[in-house]
Amino acid sequence: MKTKIRLSDISFSYGNKLIFKQINAEFAEHCITAIVGPSGQGKSTLLTIINRLWEDIPATNLHGKIEVWLNGTNGTPQDIYDSAYPADSLRRKVGMLFQTPNPLPMSIYRNVAFPLKLAGIKDRELVDHKVKTALRQAFLWKEVKDRLDDNALILSGGQQQRLCIARALIMEPEVLLLDEPTSSLDSRACKVIEELLLTLQQQCTIVMVSHYLDQVKRVADTTWQLEDGRLTRI
Amino acid sequence: MTRARLIERALLLAATVSGLSTVSIFVFMVILGLPILTAGHFSELLTGPWSPDHGVYGIRSMIVGSLTISFLSLLFAFPLSLGTSVLIAVLAPRGVALAMKRLVRFMTAIPTVVYGFVGIFLLVPIIRELFVHGSGMSILTAALLLAILISPTMILIFVDSFERVPRSYLTAVAALGGSRIDKLIHVILPCSWPGIVTGLVLALGRAMGDTMISLMVAGNSVGLPQSILDSSRTLTGHIGLIISADFDSLEFKALFACGLLLYLMTSIMVVIIRSLHFRAGVRGW
Amino acid sequence: MVMKRVKESIIVVLSWLCSLLLAGSVATIIGYLLFKGLATINLALIFGDTAPLEAIFLGRQVFNGLLPAMVGTLALVLLALIFAIPLGVAAGIYMAEYGKGRLKGWFSLFFDILASIPSIVVGLFGFSVAVFLHHNLSERIYPCLLIAALSLAFLVLPYIIRTTQVALESIPVTIRQTAPALGATKLQNISHVLLPHALSAMMSGIVLAMGRCAEDTAVIMLTGVVASAGMPRSIFAGFEALPFYIYYISAQYSDSRELASGYGAAIILLIICIMLFGLAFYIKARFELTFTARSGDKRRISQRIMKAPDRRKKSLKVNFQTEQSGQGTLL
Repeated sequence: MKTKIRLSDISFSYGNKLIFKQINAEFAEHCITAIVGPSGQGKSTLLTIINRLWEDIPATNLHGKIEVWLNGTNGTPQDIYDSAYPADSLRRKVGMLFQTPNPLPMSIYRNVAFPLKLAGIKDRELVDHKVKTALRQAFLWKEVKDRLDDNALILSGGQQQRLCIARALIMEPEVLLLDEPTSSLDSRACKVIEELLLTLQQQCTIVMVSHYLDQVKRVADTTWQLEDGRLTRI
Repeated sequence: MTRARLIERALLLAATVSGLSTVSIFVFMVILGLPILTAGHFSELLTGPWSPDHGVYGIRSMIVGSLTISFLSLLFAFPLSLGTSVLIAVLAPRGVALAMKRLVRFMTAIPTVVYGFVGIFLLVPIIRELFVHGSGMSILTAALLLAILISPTMILIFVDSFERVPRSYLTAVAALGGSRIDKLIHVILPCSWPGIVTGLVLALGRAMGDTMISLMVAGNSVGLPQSILDSSRTLTGHIGLIISADFDSLEFKALFACGLLLYLMTSIMVVIIRSLHFRAGVRGW
Repeated sequence: MVMKRVKESIIVVLSWLCSLLLAGSVATIIGYLLFKGLATINLALIFGDTAPLEAIFLGRQVFNGLLPAMVGTLALVLLALIFAIPLGVAAGIYMAEYGKGRLKGWFSLFFDILASIPSIVVGLFGFSVAVFLHHNLSERIYPCLLIAALSLAFLVLPYIIRTTQVALESIPVTIRQTAPALGATKLQNISHVLLPHALSAMMSGIVLAMGRCAEDTAVIMLTGVVASAGMPRSIFAGFEALPFYIYYISAQYSDSRELASGYGAAIILLIICIMLFGLAFYIKARFELTFTARSGDKRRISQRIMKAPDRRKKSLKVNFQTEQSGQGTLL
């Protein structure tokens, strides 16, 4: 199976506390990789070093190399910490979903279209179409198609999370990072998201943090355990 | 340079210009006040009387005036503010607390000069007839008016720090059978001492920095006040009364000494508040 | 136990007394002002002997009226804000989003000090700068509207910086990270998400700063305000202003008519300040968290999208790489 992401000798510290010690791992393409482990071990941080979101946090330090095999680069991996490689292009290819859904206080439509606006895409027909497709992919279209102008904040928790998935999908990302995406949802909403993840596997590589072992068993292809700053494959 | 970098530079420039204005005010005061600070005038400046006709430009009575008026107003305003804050944050029923809070916020919108104007025509005659002493323009008059002016500052900060006390502490006291006064005395007040000190210092700064009230109702006489019923001039009022445009006279230079003194006093208060918050942040309370 | 109950009752009573005393004082002050001054509020107070329409549209001089002072105050406030808002907002954004470490600490200290400097000292600074320029640059520079507005701008600058900074910094991390996780650059995050989010708090801070400019007397009395200048004609000339007029009347009134106009002016200034103050709170309460879609055109987008024919997925595949070139034009 083709490797999508490779972490080589990753060490990460926060203040003078070493969080990861020499982590080495490879995540396969079009697979769902789950990362499990006790809380407070830095599972979420591990995700943010794949899309460089940790860089805004003061007093942090990272050593090591992360490579991502992006589409259309003839098999040469991209070193994501290459100083010539801008973080925002990386984050368009590596989407992320947070523990609690984080729709912006705008309409449903504008939320989903927001990444396109960031990328400078103005063609209205194209934007409309992409929004529709993304909402369909996120199993949300039927529920919101009549009220795309409503404020996204009035959606239920599960709907908000699927909205965030749609918003991440609209960029057609190659990798999707999920940080306990169902932890704030009830069991029904949780089930919908799990089904959704299994279909998304077709189009992107998924790395997911979870502490529900039964959930991991249901969806993950490979599982890694993070404990004491080390990542081991189970 | 990229666009993003250019904008970051521009923002930094804006912050630098703003920061430099603070420094440049200080430098201006020092340079322009220098002739009177050097040349042997220094001790005379701080301790001498104001008597331009005799070539003596001491600002002692203005310093005394500023200090007495501001501390006296704090003396009036502190109990008033503490009592009101306790009512708002702890004792009053919801409706009353809200109304009182609105009133206090509303007070911050009243222009100083309006206080001064009403003070002249309402409070000054009352003081004059009550104490039968002088014109009624006195330290006491100014302090009373200032007390009303600075109370909202204190009350808003007090109430804010009372409300920041974690609810769990209050529940703990209640579970042990404590009354709301017990909560106040044993938890709320001890927890919010940094807020109380901050409020006090800020209010003192406002009182010391205010010009219009003392200019309008304190009488502005340059003599050293003997009692709080005497007329007096503050440092701020002294600057406000510039008449001479003779920029190079020593009389004029003395104003910069007043300005410098006010600058330093308020800066010290800022440093006190900042260090207080730093320590409170580190140590809890 | 009885002692304790007595003690508690005393505290309660004292607390109520303090509040009543404070409320009573304010009511007395406002009541006295209204009692003495309400009768003087009429058109003649503002326009004097000149007909209002002629004063406004023909620019006829107004004598014995408050119009020049009111217009002077308006000009002063607007001019001061023109200087203070861009500088203050930019510095505030720097403090919240870019500044770090020691430099940020120093800036923060300086802004705190600037905020605490008594306004009369800022006025003295403005005055001496004007005199300095008069001696060294041009004989034509005197304390004037421009100098007063610049000095006032310094007075409210730290206020605008702090409001901007706090408004930005209090945005929760979840919202702060949303746009970057979707590929936004730092600038895009600031302009598309953070600033819109902070806008209402910033606006209400700016309106409060307007109130401070309108009511301040100490700064302008050293930097160019005069008792009678007529309508402001040039930013290089002296001007009238409401708060100074009130101060001037209180010390120099010659007859009961002038005194009455002082009461009128005080009421007008009070109303202006209260309205600005109310506006600030209205903005804050009304627009909290609502840079959302306009709700008037409900279902418009839904209908548009549903009507559109489904295109095949193939045509949808647009390469992001090529579209990124347009990104620079976004800001």
